[in-house]
Amino acid sequence: MRLRPFALAEPESVPEAVEVLSRLEGDTRIIAGGTALVPTMRLGLVAPDRLVSLHRILGLSEIRVSKGVLEVGAMATLAAVARHSALRAGWPLLAQAAGRVATPAIRSSATLGGNLCYAEAASDPAPALLCLDTQVRVADSVGERVVPIAEFFTGFYETAVAPGEVLTGVRVPAVPPGARGGYVKFCPRSAEDKPLIGVAALLVLDAARRVGDIRIALAGAAPTPIRARAAEATARGQGLSDRVIREAADAAAAEAEPLSDLMGSADYRRQMIRVWVRRLLTALRETRPIA
Amino acid sequence: MIALDFTLNDRPCRVEAPAHWTVLDLLRDGLALNGTKYGCGEGVCGTCTVLLDGEPVRSCLVLASRLRGRTVITVEGLDRDGEPGPLQAAFARAGAVQCGFCTPGMLLSARALLAANPAPTEHDVREALAGNLCRCTGYTKIIEAVLAAAGGG
Repeated sequence: MRLRPFALAEPESVPEAVEVLSRLEGDTRIIAGGTALVPTMRLGLVAPDRLVSLHRILGLSEIRVSKGVLEVGAMATLAAVARHSALRAGWPLLAQAAGRVATPAIRSSATLGGNLCYAEAASDPAPALLCLDTQVRVADSVGERVVPIAEFFTGFYETAVAPGEVLTGVRVPAVPPGARGGYVKFCPRSAEDKPLIGVAALLVLDAARRVGDIRIALAGAAPTPIRARAAEATARGQGLSDRVIREAADAAAAEAEPLSDLMGSADYRRQMIRVWVRRLLTALRETRPIA
Repeated sequence: MIALDFTLNDRPCRVEAPAHWTVLDLLRDGLALNGTKYGCGEGVCGTCTVLLDGEPVRSCLVLASRLRGRTVITVEGLDRDGEPGPLQAAFARAGAVQCGFCTPGMLLSARALLAANPAPTEHDVREALAGNLCRCTGYTKIIEAVLAAAGGG
């Protein structure tokens, strides 16, 4: 089955892409890897008149670490994110999450920028990026603005990227000294599914093994990926005992606002958030610090 | 129409295609290479898998314009001088083909795995083939075939 015909623009720079997008010609969409947009088009859920492909923009698929800060271009594939050695060493939860998306042949096309713009609530990379205090870079007609990841997901499949703007990449600061982190994903049916729920966490234990900085984020737990701030507050300043972990997991389950869909009911998701927050925090007690 | 210049199964290929064609449309309808199958059209089933610069991709999801300057391998590129290549021979020997519809995608996912990891474990094979569905439920033989091909058998 063919896609419905559309015009294709292939700009060679970000300013050119923004300029092309400013010309209002029917329903225009940006295409990155196409792993979300093309199925959506094939299902007839969207029928764009024009696609603007970012694949010819040099440098947009670069992954770079400089002065301890990670820069990932919007067109970097999830496979590239998962295997980049400096990224794996400094931001292992992001590499783990990218490596758990779908299957190898999807990860080799799907991009980090596309994943963010699709704004799937059950995104694997999103909770990792939420824990890492990521800055999202968005180009517009006057230049570039930076959106904190906490303000990026604005609603069900909605983001802070306005029509005419282009997400160009993310900037991820170094994790705090001594931090440990990870990402876990629960799929009740098949490993290549999007997660029923996903949990990322980053935390620092002080010399007395009390929790200092702690960040927990959830996928599939609300209409957007979210930080579990009540769960974080429950554990902060406490020793990471079984009891504290259970209380934090209960808090995460309570603050989640999951939806029901074909993968699972809201109630099931809530129960699984409880289980997997507990399992991840328990595992992180024994995980070696990142740096 | 867009003009495309790329390498297809080790030979230069210059072709024109409508802008809305996917790589799969181009292979099957533009170039009459019908070994690559249309399954689900949504990137789930894996039978349309081809190698793009050595990496497995879903040809039903990738726009043909992405091919410029790149290297594509399809199932038609796996033979050796008209005889089945090592992976194909291993599939035949192990009985890893039932209806055969998933086979092209299985072969190319397996080829990408063996290029990156010449001595995979069974777990590695299962991970690499996780996105290739076989509805004859023939996974056991397929995994045996990939392991046999890796072992030189």
